[in-house]
Amino acid sequence: MKILIVEDEKELVKSMVQFLRQESYVCEVAYTEREANEKILIFDYDCILLDISLPDGNGLKILQKLKENNKTDGVIIITAKNSMDDKIKGLNLGADDYLPKPFYLPELSARISAVVRRKRFDGNNKLVCNEIAVDLLGKTVSVKDKPVDLTRKEYDLLIFLMANKNRVVSKNAIAEHLSGDDAELLDKFDFIYSHIKNMKKKMTEAGCEDYIKTVYGLGYKFTA
Amino acid sequence: MRLLQVSIRSLLLYAFVLVLISIPVSFYSVRTILKEEVDESLLLHTNQFLQHIKKFESLDDLETDLTVLDQLSYNIKIKPIDSTLNTKEFQTIYLYDSMEQEQRPFRQLSSSVEIKGQPYLLTIRMSLIGNDELVFAIGSVQILLIVLLIAGLLMINRSLNKKLWKPFYRILERLKAYQLDKSESFQTEETNIVEFDDLNRTAIHLMERNRKIFLEQKEFIENASHELQTPLAIFQSKLDNLMQNPSMSESDAMTIAELEETAQRMSRLNKNLLLLSKIDNEQFGALHDIELSKLINSLIDNVKSIAEEEEINWNVKLNPLHIKANQTLTEILLTNLIHNAIRHNVNGGKVSILLESKTLTISNTGKALQMNQDKMFERFSKEGVAENSTGLGLAIVKKICESNHYSLSYEFGKGTHTFSISF
Repeated sequence: MKILIVEDEKELVKSMVQFLRQESYVCEVAYTEREANEKILIFDYDCILLDISLPDGNGLKILQKLKENNKTDGVIIITAKNSMDDKIKGLNLGADDYLPKPFYLPELSARISAVVRRKRFDGNNKLVCNEIAVDLLGKTVSVKDKPVDLTRKEYDLLIFLMANKNRVVSKNAIAEHLSGDDAELLDKFDFIYSHIKNMKKKMTEAGCEDYIKTVYGLGYKFTA
Repeated sequence: MRLLQVSIRSLLLYAFVLVLISIPVSFYSVRTILKEEVDESLLLHTNQFLQHIKKFESLDDLETDLTVLDQLSYNIKIKPIDSTLNTKEFQTIYLYDSMEQEQRPFRQLSSSVEIKGQPYLLTIRMSLIGNDELVFAIGSVQILLIVLLIAGLLMINRSLNKKLWKPFYRILERLKAYQLDKSESFQTEETNIVEFDDLNRTAIHLMERNRKIFLEQKEFIENASHELQTPLAIFQSKLDNLMQNPSMSESDAMTIAELEETAQRMSRLNKNLLLLSKIDNEQFGALHDIELSKLINSLIDNVKSIAEEEEINWNVKLNPLHIKANQTLTEILLTNLIHNAIRHNVNGGKVSILLESKTLTISNTGKALQMNQDKMFERFSKEGVAENSTGLGLAIVKKICESNHYSLSYEFGKGTHTFSISF
C-alpha cells in the first residue's frame, strides 16, 4: 500500500516513515506543495498525509487539485493549526480525516488503516486476524464465529490495538484514542487497565488466544 | 477643584487685595492734592487781600473798617496783634454750622500782616465740604468699576469654562471609555486649540502604540503556541518509535513512559494556552443554538466510566435550556467544570449538576481550598500537586464566561465546592 507524506518538517517525516514502514506501507515524501502536486498527478496513493502549512503554499490547494482531477486518494490532514475553520474547509474539500499536531503515531496508523479500509474494501468491511473477526460496519466481534459481547470502549480498544499489530502502544495513546479530551482525567485512575483486563477476559473466555501483552508500565502490544 | 476655579481664585484674590490697597491710597492722594490746591488758593487770597488793602491805606478810619470786615465776613478774620512775628500757619478746623447743625471742616491760613504799620493777624478760611464730596464720588465710582470688573471676569470665565474646555472633557470621556482589548481605534476631533490638538495627537499616538504592542503580544502567544506544536509532534513521534525497540529494558520503558508523560503535559499546556489566546482573539465567532441539558448529559456520559473508578456518585437534575453560543467553547466550558469536579473530588464523593432557570450549578465534595479563592481562576494556579493538571482549566472557564457575559461564582461550604454560571 502506498502512502504519500506531504510535510516540510524532515524529522517528523523521518519518524512517520520509520513507524509506517513496519506496517508494510510504502511511503513517499513531498516536502513542498510543488513536489506534492507533481506526485499526485502521476501516482495514485492509498492515503495522503497532508500538512496544511507548507513552505511554498497551502495544503488545501493540493486537496483542491485532487478533486479537480477526480482522484480518489484517501487524505488525512495533519496540521499544527487546530482550527475548526480549517477542519471544516478540509473535510468539505474531500479530506477523510483531520489530525492535529502533536499526535501519537499509533493514532495516525489507526486512522490510516481506517481510511484505507474505507477506500479499498467499500462494502466488505471485515477485519480478520486468526480466530478474531471484526465487522466494522456492525461493530461486532466474533471469535471462531461466535459473537463476543464487548462494550463500546472495549471494542474501540481492540480495533486500535489490532490496527497497530505487533507494535507497542503507550497507555497515553490508548487513553487519548478512547476518551479524547477526557483523557486528561485518566492519569488519576487506572482506567485503561480495567478495560484491557475486562476485554482480555471476555476474549479468552470465548476461546481466543491471549494476544495482548503488557509492555512493562509503558503500554500494550497486540502480537499475532 | 477645577483648573479654572484655581485660576479665577487667584485672579479674584489679586483684585481684592488691589481694591483694599487702592481705596485708601487713592482716597488719601486725592485728598492731599485737593488740600494743596486749597492751600495754594488760600495763599493767593491772602496776597490779593493785602494788595486790595494797600489801595485803602490812605483811608483814616481803616482800622474801624477792618474791625467791621472782621465782624461781617465769615471767611475772612482780621485782628490787630501785639507782636509783629512773621508767621504763616495752615490749619484744618471744624466749625459749627447752625444751618446744617453739624461740624463742618474748614481749611484756614493765618498770617501776620502789617497794615499801615500796625500788625494784624489775617485768617482766611475755605470750606472743605465740597472737596470731601468729590473724594467720595471718585471713591464710589472706583468701587463700582471694580465690582463690574470682577463680575465681568467671573462671567466670562464661566462661559469660557463651558466652551473652551469642552474638547478637553470630550477627550477625557473618550480616554475613560477606551478599552485596549475591545475598542477599535482612538478617535478625536480637531479643536483649533493648539494645546488640545496636541493632547489629542499624543493620546492617539499613545493608544496606537499600546494597541500595537497589545496585538503583537496577543499574536505572539498564538504564534509561539503554534510553533511549539511541530517540535512536540516530532518529540512524541520519536518516543513512539523508540518504544518499538525489541531489546528495550524495563528501566528504558519506564524512562520512555515518563518522557511521554512530560510530552503530554507540554502539549496540553500548549493546547490550553492556544485556546486562551484564541478566545482572547475572538476566533470562536460562529454561534449555534445549543440545548444545554442534552450537551451536559453527553459530556457526563463520556466521563462516567472514568469517574466510576473513584466511585463518584452523580446527582444530575437538568431542565432543558436553549442558549446561543459557540459549540466548541460551550463544550470546553462544561468539560472543564466537570473535570474539575471529578479531579478535586474525594473517593466515594459526590458530583451534583443542576440546571434550572438559566443557572447551572456544579458542585462536588472535596477538601477546602488551600489557596486564595480569588487566585483560583488565575492562570497557572494549581491546588496541591496535581501533576496532570495544567492549572489553566478554570482560567479558561473564566475567560469563556467573560467573553460570553455569563456571571460566574464560586463558594465553598460544608465540604462542598460550588460553581454557578448564570447564562
